[in-house]
Amino acid sequence: MNISPEEATQALRDIEASRVAMRSAFRSHRGHLYLWLWGSIWVAVSLLCWNGTPLGWRISGWLSLAGVAASFVIGTLQGRQVRSRIDKRFIAVCIAILVFGYVALPIALGPPHSYKAAYALGMLVWMQIYVVGGIWFDNYLLWVGIAVTVLVLASLLFLPGAFWACTLLAALVLVGTGSYVRYFWR
Amino acid sequence: MDALDPIIHQPARLQLMSALCQLDEGQRVDFTFLKDQLRLTDGNLGAHLATLESKGYISAEKEFVARRPKTFVAATPAGRAAFASHVGALQSILLPK
Repeated sequence: MNISPEEATQALRDIEASRVAMRSAFRSHRGHLYLWLWGSIWVAVSLLCWNGTPLGWRISGWLSLAGVAASFVIGTLQGRQVRSRIDKRFIAVCIAILVFGYVALPIALGPPHSYKAAYALGMLVWMQIYVVGGIWFDNYLLWVGIAVTVLVLASLLFLPGAFWACTLLAALVLVGTGSYVRYFWR
Repeated sequence: MDALDPIIHQPARLQLMSALCQLDEGQRVDFTFLKDQLRLTDGNLGAHLATLESKGYISAEKEFVARRPKTFVAATPAGRAAFASHVGALQSILLPK
């Protein structure tokens, strides 16, 4: 098969146009909606709990439940367009992390001594899943997981007075990463 | 030496392979989503997918989602290799001799 340089140039242009269009379409399936959703929930919780109001603590539980339901809806709708194969080993690792964080650790060390510690534990458990997800699939999850883990642990252990400010910052890391993934990720 | 592949070179199939090669390994895309993104008709896309599938360049799997049949499409490793080879051949045409 022989073609002219002009035809080759046109074919390469068509390939590039299709590549750019599809990258943009597929980028909307790279998890930014989850990052925006949970980042927003964590922003709300951090602001509600800033002054230690019990109302904020109660609302945060309902917000988290709403977040789980919304995540399920997002996953279902997006799975109708672009699907990834279910990686059973990754699911097994996620379950192991959740069981370790929410069951084994509280049994071994006792329940968290304060709402801050309980909230930090919740964030840290999920961030370890982000770290594993980053190693398994997409690099950016690894960095988000590490950044939020460092922020939450450092504030809980060394800067308890700035805990909610740090969780707010951690939530903004999620929102910012979601925006980066949606608009700039290549 | 990379060679041009007449199956891939057809404009719609070139666009299709370029699109499918953007998916990550193990990802599949819905037929309707692909049709909308590439602005092809059902019949046109179906015919080109059948051609590519007969060469082993793509795989198509039918599944029921919410009790409706859906077709998910992905580029096979052979398809990715053939597309990369085709792009290499196109680029080599433009190299100064």
